[in-house]
Amino acid sequence: MPATIAAKPVNGPDQGIFHNTAGFSTLITVTVLTLAWLAGFASRLFAVIRFESIIHEFDPWFNYRSTAYMVEHGFYNFLNWFDERAWYPLGRIVGGTVYPGLMLTSGTIHWFLHALNIPIHIRDICVFLAPVFSGLTAIATYLLTSELWSRGAGLFAACFIAIVPGYSSRSVAGSYDNEGIAIFALQFTYYLWLKSVKSGSVFWSVCTALSYFYMVSAWGGYVFIINLIPLHVFVLLIMGRFSQRLFVSYTVFYIIGLVFSMQIPFVGFQPIRTSEHMAASGVFALLMAVGALKYLHSLNPKGEWKQLLILGTIVAAGAVFLAVVALTYMGIIAPWSGRFYSLWDTGYAKIHIPIIASVSEHQPTTWSSFFFDLHVLVCTFPVGLWYCIKNINDERVFVALYALSAVYFAGVMVRLMLTLTPVVCVLAGIAFSIILELVLKEEDTTQAPIETEEVKNDKSGKAKKRVQETVQAQDQGPGLYARPGTVIAFMILLMLFSVHCTWATSNAYSSPSIVLASYGNDGSRRILDDFREAYGWLSQNTAEDARIMSWWDYGYQIAGMGNRTTLVDNNTWNNSHIALVGKAMASNETAAYEIMSMLDVDYVLVIFGGAIGYSGDDINKFIWMVRIAEGEHPKDIHEADYFTERGEYRIDAEGSKTMLNCLMYKLSYYRYDSGGSPPGYDRTRNALPGNRGFKLTYLEESYTTEHWLVRIYRVKKRDEFNRPRVPLAKRTIPTSNSISKKTSKRRKGLLKNKPTVVKGKKMRLE
Amino acid sequence: MSIELPAKSKMRIFVVFLLFISAICGSTNVDTISGEVKIKNVDRIIDCSSQLVKTTSKITLENTGKAPLKNFLLAVESSVKDNLSFLGVKDSNNKDLRLSETVVKGYGDVRFYRVDLKDPLNVGSTAVVVAEAVLTKALQPYPTAITQQEDQLVKFIGNLYFFSPYHVTSQKTNVILNTKTIESFTKVKPFSQLDGTLVYGAYANIGPFTEKELSVHFKNNSPFLTVSRIERLIEVSHWGNIAIEEKIEIEHTGAKLKGPFSRYDYQQDHHSGPASVRSYKTFLPASAADVYYRDTNGNISTSNMKVKKDSVELDLRPRYPLFGGWKTHYTLGYNVPSYEYLYHSGNEYLLKMRVIDHVVDDMQVDELVTKVILPEGAHSIKANFPYPLTRLPDTLHYTYLDTQGRPVITFTKRNVVENHIQDFQLRYTFPTIFMLREPLLVVASLYTLFLCVIIYVRLDFSIHKEAHVKAN
Amino acid sequence: MPSVISVIPKLYHEYTTKTSKKLKIVDAYLLYVFLTGVIQFVYCCLVGTFPFNSFLSGFISCVSSFVLGVCLRLQVNPENKNEFSGLSAERGFADFIFAHLVLHIVVMNFIG
Repeated sequence: MPATIAAKPVNGPDQGIFHNTAGFSTLITVTVLTLAWLAGFASRLFAVIRFESIIHEFDPWFNYRSTAYMVEHGFYNFLNWFDERAWYPLGRIVGGTVYPGLMLTSGTIHWFLHALNIPIHIRDICVFLAPVFSGLTAIATYLLTSELWSRGAGLFAACFIAIVPGYSSRSVAGSYDNEGIAIFALQFTYYLWLKSVKSGSVFWSVCTALSYFYMVSAWGGYVFIINLIPLHVFVLLIMGRFSQRLFVSYTVFYIIGLVFSMQIPFVGFQPIRTSEHMAASGVFALLMAVGALKYLHSLNPKGEWKQLLILGTIVAAGAVFLAVVALTYMGIIAPWSGRFYSLWDTGYAKIHIPIIASVSEHQPTTWSSFFFDLHVLVCTFPVGLWYCIKNINDERVFVALYALSAVYFAGVMVRLMLTLTPVVCVLAGIAFSIILELVLKEEDTTQAPIETEEVKNDKSGKAKKRVQETVQAQDQGPGLYARPGTVIAFMILLMLFSVHCTWATSNAYSSPSIVLASYGNDGSRRILDDFREAYGWLSQNTAEDARIMSWWDYGYQIAGMGNRTTLVDNNTWNNSHIALVGKAMASNETAAYEIMSMLDVDYVLVIFGGAIGYSGDDINKFIWMVRIAEGEHPKDIHEADYFTERGEYRIDAEGSKTMLNCLMYKLSYYRYDSGGSPPGYDRTRNALPGNRGFKLTYLEESYTTEHWLVRIYRVKKRDEFNRPRVPLAKRTIPTSNSISKKTSKRRKGLLKNKPTVVKGKKMRLE
Repeated sequence: MSIELPAKSKMRIFVVFLLFISAICGSTNVDTISGEVKIKNVDRIIDCSSQLVKTTSKITLENTGKAPLKNFLLAVESSVKDNLSFLGVKDSNNKDLRLSETVVKGYGDVRFYRVDLKDPLNVGSTAVVVAEAVLTKALQPYPTAITQQEDQLVKFIGNLYFFSPYHVTSQKTNVILNTKTIESFTKVKPFSQLDGTLVYGAYANIGPFTEKELSVHFKNNSPFLTVSRIERLIEVSHWGNIAIEEKIEIEHTGAKLKGPFSRYDYQQDHHSGPASVRSYKTFLPASAADVYYRDTNGNISTSNMKVKKDSVELDLRPRYPLFGGWKTHYTLGYNVPSYEYLYHSGNEYLLKMRVIDHVVDDMQVDELVTKVILPEGAHSIKANFPYPLTRLPDTLHYTYLDTQGRPVITFTKRNVVENHIQDFQLRYTFPTIFMLREPLLVVASLYTLFLCVIIYVRLDFSIHKEAHVKAN
Repeated sequence: MPSVISVIPKLYHEYTTKTSKKLKIVDAYLLYVFLTGVIQFVYCCLVGTFPFNSFLSGFISCVSSFVLGVCLRLQVNPENKNEFSGLSAERGFADFIFAHLVLHIVVMNFIG
């Protein structure tokens, strides 16, 4: 496989060998793009080859479950689907709280294939959707880059994006998530946008809006588009690059995109009600004002109007800004949500929204991960950026803004590395193309004839650019051996890049995370299938309506593989409900039992990695449970109680008493006496648990998987242990309590959008 | 002649032979009991060591009548007829005898079978036949729920005597338990107990329809695995391959697990959880290839395959050990080459395959559904089954490149055991020219695709021209 | 300020003389759409926005019709020939119709 990948970026420069005939260059382009597609597809199959065709991780399980539901029940039933299996006892309106683009895409493919009598299972479509879309992304990137620079650069960029780890991390086979198709939609929207700015055609604008619609239906990241494009327009205005083409393309895109985006139930009226979208409407109003003033100016083109024009623009901008601020104050426009605040103030989430901060992919990015995800591209893309700024035009302003904002966001959150990757590929593609051009262009006639040919073609193909570069090229004047040297050096770089990409994709991003593999001393591979063992057990051997309490990470998997009701899941829309589960886990057994019986919990599932040294288990996540619980129940839970006096988080004999007696601790270490020596040794935390040999009063072990990774406990009914019955009246009080708490906590960022969504949906139905 | 019968005991099993001279033999299915037949001797072995109860009775028939005996009757008492899964009779040369269900007036709740002898039995002479019966769900776990560490105890209640409407001169019964742990058993002299086996008899001169309770309560830790449903899909391709896929739901129907399951205890030693099933073996045909073992959540990675001379042995480990009351389900699939099962002369084809294949040793299957998908275009389908089955209406199945659909033959049967692993036959006509249809379809569609591209390219030009015309 | 006021009649004069008849038709259409939008807005201020999606779809369809009209006007205007180099007036009109088609399908869906 590395060979194929290595071969492909090398193919990039080959496109320069095209003849004057358009046919040959088209052939080369098509070949390179097809190869890029194939290599991108193939390099994402490590997980399937090593394990099997299976859905990965957490969120994809929900997407898969909803897709399967949609395929089975039809699209309209899917939009109205009320899932009572999630968020017990609240339930979840799935149709109104998802971006349906992903499900629709695979549902359409499924429908199409079945119309042709190809009986492919929906799971396989879901598994292979992201790799297939990576090819489309490569093509969209090619189009975008050729729009920006040249077709050669486009081919480079397409090859880069096909294999770059920063993108394949989210699109390996089995990682069936919104990002997989959203990056394609993102790139394609940008391409169409540039196209429409260039041509000023209403047609391309409408296409941009359509593509934007697909993006909105696919991923919450559409906000990036709806802020970046206005920013582009705004910067062009400031630079004095207003044109009627810009006016046409933006106004048409905005207004049609606006009405399109409101068709998605989950988005609803947000585009006119929340601050995230206000920049776009502000720029729209501004552009209208500028357009009107320009028109008046054109009627009477005299000097005194010039100042009036500028003044008018400034006044219009100020008025729009003030209007937005005023509306925000009046509460008509919702302020920014917590996730957006955390983009500007990295400390914000840690203090106010632990649930966002608790997710590892919301952490700030480290330098090494930039290099890991982008490798040589991270060094070369500034070159491309510099060239773009140097030879500025309307489109290159856009790519510069795109690059700058994406770099910022990628620095803030690991997850947003994904939005940086495409632009890095574009710019690096440009940089490589320029460099190779410089090196190859001045080949003497004594050089290989093929290369001379290329020069000719470059002349015809990129005449405009060449004029600007001749000066530069001349003073570079490399020696006789410098040119081939440079070429070889860059080839080696590209080779290293492709090797790195293959390696990173294969080692870091191709683990399904529900199947673990361990290697024995003799190199033999052992598969630890504990997750599926536990979920399979749940699905077969518990009551159909059993309610499973677990930390929210596992909610989607329990619903998807275990097919059982969960209390909380990865759609973390209700902070207080999660906090309640966190509180139950953090309390002692008696207090936890009260919460659990209030929530009608039948089983409790915990992940315990101590026996095999799996570090992502619940004890390690436990401190976040405590923090989230403390946020909602500051009277009952105190984070400090779970640390030792010296502020250490430990589970051995020195651990704090609260820690050693909380439910999570007990469920993890109950009768844990095996594993290594001495017996009962925790291999994840390298400690001997401090509290051992205890008994459980309110729960009993129902199932523990082979490697102790998943432990399931049954909550005993009240008549199963010797305890006075709690009167009915007393039991109901806490429930009402929790509801009132929920409403009072609405100011917490995560809850906010919920009512709007429901309302919008209802009204749509009328 | 008469024996009191404890009517409540459902676990009673007994197969009775009735020698019978029928004047109206042949087509009718109403018979009468003749008094001119005697059973000289019965040697009965009741094997209770697995989850099934297998009874093998060696019967010596005597014709005391005046005419040669062509056939005789075989009966099952009402309390066990629902448990009876399989009944087969062989003569002394180990040849199967023909068996058909029949009715005797006045014995409405007893089920009778008529067995046709190969050669008529002459007056006064004797013949030896061996009857084999398999009963499912005849062993009841008692107690019905046990904890993880306990052994599973089961109770067997049957007929101490040979249930017979005729006089049995002498009979002897061996009950094989394969365990020394016997809690209690019926004691009717003469009897003896030698390791793992109870021997009753010989009892002399027992009259017809005599029943007396035989009850044994003993340890039985053999796997109590019931296949609650198996759907067997056989897809025949004339390109040389037959794909078989079995969707299996399996349940441990022994004593239920009471109280917690402790992984610690289970890991401590391998004798822990004696009644649980960690793994079991499935035998596939020797030519089976590309075996897969998965469930709705994907592959089940814990299995081993051994290729033997006459079979492929799969050591299947469910995702979790099966304790009493626990269930699991999975899909097992494999391919076999078609030349071993598909015969043809010209356009006439004959498919010979097993109705059901081995799932577990001593398996009991509640419901079997077998579907056979024939190639598209097969017609005049005639099915021939080794034993009575319910045939469901034929359907059509659409798969790759099908236009009119492939015929699907479906049949079903309840209460199936290993003895039902027999071949069915399916004759059909399939014109060989149909084999070419699918490649031709591919060629045609590709051709159309290229044609479309060509037309599109032309069209593209024309649009440009139009635009230019417009612009001008 | 007085200069602005004095300029208005001049502007009017310029407009009436310089603008071709075709563009004036488009302008009349724009004025009509604009007024419809204003009426809708006033109506919603007086009566209330319920049902919100219906109001929005009506209002947005007005705004977009206006925008599309303006775009058409810009593209048709012979003065802007060099701005929209590849676009003929007919192409502009075809785009206009296409955009309206897309727009009104969505608005139909949205109006509920």
